[in-house]
Amino acid sequence: MTSSQPQFAAIKQHIGARDYAKALAELFSSLSPADDFVVQARAARLLGSIPAGELKLKPIKIAVAASSTMDQFVELFRLWLAREGFAAEIWSAPFNTVVPTVLDAEGTLYRFKPDIVWLFGTYRDVVLEVPLGDDRAVPKAVEAAVQQRAFLWRTLQERLSCAVIENNADIPLHDDFGNFAGQAAWSLRNGLRRYNLELAAAAPAGVTIFDLDQLSAAFGKANWVDERYWFHSKNAFGFQALGAVAFQGARLVTALKTGTKKCVILDLDNTIWGGVIGDDGMNGIKLGNGAEGEAFVAIQRWAKSLKERGIILAVCSKNDPEIAKEPFLKHPDMVLRLDDIAVFRANWDNKADNIAYIVSALNIGMDSVVFVDDNPVERDLVRKYLPAVAVPELPADPAGFVAAINAQLYFETVGFSSEDRERARFYRDNAARAEKMASFADQSEYLRWLEMTAELGDLDEFNLPRIAQLVNKSNQFNLTTIRYTEAELQGLARRADTRIRHYRLLDRYGDNGLISVVILSIVPGGALGIDLWVMSCRVLARTMEEFIFNDILAIARRNGCGSITGRYIPTAKNGLVCGLYERLGFRQTHAERGTTDWTFTINEATVPAVTYVDAAAPAAKKEQ
Amino acid sequence: MSSDRTAVRDRLNRIFQEVFEDDSIEIRDGTTADDIDLWDSVMHITLVLAVEREFAIRLSAAEVGTLDNVGQMIDLIAARAGK
Repeated sequence: MTSSQPQFAAIKQHIGARDYAKALAELFSSLSPADDFVVQARAARLLGSIPAGELKLKPIKIAVAASSTMDQFVELFRLWLAREGFAAEIWSAPFNTVVPTVLDAEGTLYRFKPDIVWLFGTYRDVVLEVPLGDDRAVPKAVEAAVQQRAFLWRTLQERLSCAVIENNADIPLHDDFGNFAGQAAWSLRNGLRRYNLELAAAAPAGVTIFDLDQLSAAFGKANWVDERYWFHSKNAFGFQALGAVAFQGARLVTALKTGTKKCVILDLDNTIWGGVIGDDGMNGIKLGNGAEGEAFVAIQRWAKSLKERGIILAVCSKNDPEIAKEPFLKHPDMVLRLDDIAVFRANWDNKADNIAYIVSALNIGMDSVVFVDDNPVERDLVRKYLPAVAVPELPADPAGFVAAINAQLYFETVGFSSEDRERARFYRDNAARAEKMASFADQSEYLRWLEMTAELGDLDEFNLPRIAQLVNKSNQFNLTTIRYTEAELQGLARRADTRIRHYRLLDRYGDNGLISVVILSIVPGGALGIDLWVMSCRVLARTMEEFIFNDILAIARRNGCGSITGRYIPTAKNGLVCGLYERLGFRQTHAERGTTDWTFTINEATVPAVTYVDAAAPAAKKEQ
Repeated sequence: MSSDRTAVRDRLNRIFQEVFEDDSIEIRDGTTADDIDLWDSVMHITLVLAVEREFAIRLSAAEVGTLDNVGQMIDLIAARAGK
């Protein structure tokens, strides 16, 4: 490992001086999941010596149920969760009690009420009853093994509103049949391979497969299991692998709870091409030809493929903008083109300011950004002034850039929707809209020009994944920040007094996707309550809020409601909507510690709010 | 005590201080898990791994389970590390 060890003495000094934030920063500045277990265990203990609550981390409850010893793992898992911003309370089921723990409805697991249950199995837990040489027995044996796990998932999902993480089988290094095990369908190796595929296919919404097999391969199967500690204390894999598992697990928790990174901001000179475009010129930069030139092409391919899965790309470079854009327009070996870049900032201002500009232009959170720059001085500057931005360390050799960034697992996700694929286009179109808007004398003229229509409807199976994603990932336009799993949303939708509405916005530029969700609780003849309202920030200032309000108003009227009530619960990120209800004509009825309650009284004189969004023509939706 | 054992014990003492995060620990041959509050079966493994790392040795599964006191550890390390 090239990484240096954490400065434990300095960390202890910070803790002694009660400068806990500094201690944490120091702890994670040089800690790597590939570090020796002893080093990570020490870091975990130092973290544990910081009083709970001092670090201002988000609390999360995780239950781990395993048939192997997890004590050391749990310590490292808590450590890496802290780096993800979580203060984890982790409950481990007693050793080797996975099934009884899940089945016991009165047991500790259910009293603990975890946000996440991790069913931590290994290949040793997968029993495949396949006689040697019997191909035909394989599908049934695999099916039976998968069904055992599916039964546990169903039980958990019926009793808890939690996310479930299930390991696939870490296919062992050794097989009695050696290489032939890769050929025979009935071998343990191929049986487990089939099990892993069928397990993934069987996983319903709310169950995430943890790819333990891939992790064991990446770590190296020859060292993955330390048989001494299996025999001695039933540790299912070697201690040196624990950090990698804990880190990957913590990143997955972030993907489940807060989502993946949304944007990569790229430097140009010596980051996506070799040399300095301002000095070396179009023909002088290294790109395409030679080993170094190929390495830079590989970096661009990496960025391009991220863009294709919906990650936004932006540029932040110290350059003259015209010169910086030239390769994008004319260089034959450029993989990235100007229309791949949502925001292009080339100037001589400092990079922290430019990144702040990009983040605000895209209307995304600072913590959803990865900044890639070959220059250590720029990296340090951004880390110092924008600590929420992820800034990976890069090696001197550009051939190692992609691997160094990938090792940070920034783009972990637990799903992929059509929205994700389209996201980069949404943001690029938004940049185009902003440019267009400047050409209009006033806002309403521009909004009319956009020719906006909205499709709206209730929760359905087709839209459920995107609705859940929006409910769980929206931080800024989110009035109450209540999170619901897909299963909970389905449960709510079945209730007679609840409606879950979703809205999709289309305009001249195309489909903006499903961009808003409200959850309404209705007392016919009484009040209609807005329990939840989230909206994507990419459709702000388009009078979409007013359109949605009008829909809510219509539902209230159809149910004979005399008023609409709403609540605003402040968080660190949702200041954007603190004045929303006031703007829509609600009256504040109560305020306590920042939380405000609002009422809109409906009478015959009430008119809908002014909006430039029309309901789409085929609005043949079921109405209550 | 041989100089070998003294040198081993000095290094081992530092390992104990780091593993248990306690600079006041002074190990003796007779020191056992009863003398150090945090020394339980979980920490025992961390301790053994730290010893393996510090002295670049590899203990057998059986040895991991039998290292009950500091004197045994020093003897084992001194015998192993010398080879």
